Amino acid sequence: MKRFAFGVGGWVLGIVLAGLSAAALTAQQPSEIQLVISGEPGTPPRYAVPDFIALTPDSADMAKTLGRVLWDDLNFEREFYMVPRDTYATIPLARTPEDVPFAAWRELGADAVVFGTVQKTDANTVRVQIRLFNVRSRQSVFAKEYTGSSANPRLYAHTMSDEIHQQQRALRGVARTKLTFSSDRNREKIAGPVDNRDVKEIYIADYDGENQRRVTTNRQLNIMPVWSPDARSIAYTSYRRGYPDIFIALIYQGLQETPTNGVGQNWLPVFSPDGTRICFTSNRDGNPELYVMDRDGSGVRRVTNNPAIDTTPTWSPNGTQIAFTSDRPGQPQIYIVGADGLNLRRITTMDSYADRPTWAPAPFNEIAYAARTGPGFDIKVFDLASGTTRQITFGEGSNESPAFSPNGRHLVFTSTRANDRVQVFTMGRDGRNVKQITRDANNYTPGWSN
Amino acid sequence: MAKVLPSAPTPGGGRLTRGRRVSTTLAEINVIPLVDVMLVLLIIFMVAAPMLQRGVELNLPVASRSQEIASDRIFVSVPLSFREDRRVFIGQDPVRVDVLTERMRQMMLNRSDRQVFLRGDGGIELQELLDVMDRLKAAGVDKVGIINKLPGEQ
Repeated sequence: MKRFAFGVGGWVLGIVLAGLSAAALTAQQPSEIQLVISGEPGTPPRYAVPDFIALTPDSADMAKTLGRVLWDDLNFEREFYMVPRDTYATIPLARTPEDVPFAAWRELGADAVVFGTVQKTDANTVRVQIRLFNVRSRQSVFAKEYTGSSANPRLYAHTMSDEIHQQQRALRGVARTKLTFSSDRNREKIAGPVDNRDVKEIYIADYDGENQRRVTTNRQLNIMPVWSPDARSIAYTSYRRGYPDIFIALIYQGLQETPTNGVGQNWLPVFSPDGTRICFTSNRDGNPELYVMDRDGSGVRRVTNNPAIDTTPTWSPNGTQIAFTSDRPGQPQIYIVGADGLNLRRITTMDSYADRPTWAPAPFNEIAYAARTGPGFDIKVFDLASGTTRQITFGEGSNESPAFSPNGRHLVFTSTRANDRVQVFTMGRDGRNVKQITRDANNYTPGWSN
Repeated sequence: MAKVLPSAPTPGGGRLTRGRRVSTTLAEINVIPLVDVMLVLLIIFMVAAPMLQRGVELNLPVASRSQEIASDRIFVSVPLSFREDRRVFIGQDPVRVDVLTERMRQMMLNRSDRQVFLRGDGGIELQELLDVMDRLKAAGVDKVGIINKLPGEQ
């Protein structure tokens, strides 16, 4: 009898042990965590980005900046519904990741909430930490730590935004990209016999217009800047020698290259997508034609051959074709030619005046250009696959000089819509979400870096 | 006097015939009890349906001139307890009135008809109801309808 009872006890114990070990086994296996935060069906996920937490008192300003800039960066791609920051007032700031008030965020309708901290480790370095929480499951789906210089806190927010877009949306964000443009904001006059003209210098800025910096300082006309594909150099046209020639500024080394070096007059350089070649306009053989050369200026080959003016080239994303403006039909129109000079064809037929084509990066197979619509210009986009054209600005001032962002979802352009001066703006590729980048003096011919 | 006819059934034979008739059964389903049960269920659900009312419990104000609401809409209810806890209900979902504007803005995002029906308790003051209505308007709601019941309606 006693032995029987022991037997049953052992059997029960065995089952309990087996159950425990099974539970331990499942706990050891990586649990299935949903890393991508989704919204309600048919709506984008809703993100809330409160202020970061300053772990040291001297990083309080930085904490506010990080939250604000990250919100703007995430809002820019329009992949998420960003819950406006002025609605967070009633929600207490969490000091630790454990006491994030998920119920309050849920009540506000947020699907995802950011918890970030910033800490000054010494005079010039900071440590920034970020976690992205799924408000429903209360799980952290993204966690990163950054350590570095405290000089530009916005760069941390830009980096976080790009990484969140990459992880949550498999999308290449543009928060760390830069713009370049030509500006006469110095209000200096060109010295010498040239009639009373303002100098134009090359400037760079973050994609959101912050940190605007001057690149050239030669008090001449410096125009039409474009970024190299590695985003470390800017090629532009300068009249610093009295005639137009091509210069390449290596902005991080402070060096300058002159690949054409005084052979004829040369304008409008553009880098091929792999960065090894430059297409440009030159009148070295008599009238303006397109040429292609290697980056160091060797191996110059002529692409077009026509008595009319061929100018403003732009490369196709795979580097085999070039779109450009030519006035051979009497008015400027957009043409495409192979980089070898073959297979010329005209693509604009409906516009009286079409200028400054710019080829979108893959996967968008389209060319944006400025077309005359009434007194001013508007930006139109030609779809190469279907052969159709859509207009994306509609007569608010004159809109010119489009250039695509590296992910093809945005355009930078100039417009006179804000005042009677020319300013740089960005917009989505559908023409919505127009954002003013420059406010001072006149700013021309923007380019967008990779 | 009684004539015995050869065709007349004998008592034994007659009993035999009657017995054969009883043994034939009716091979059909009797649906009458089924129909009875179905009708009873139907009546139960008909009685119960008006009781499964949407929204929180409150006394609607009374007005005789009003229209029926056609289809499924967004309802915002302001119960009498609003005065104490500053909470309203979006459908069945209790929210603080501070976040009502943002929640409504999110709901209006993909809608073509930007209208909301406000169910205020009859005991709520007009000023309190207008506060809520202000927040709805700030969220981009075009039309706010105020729900009432007809005189005598329960």
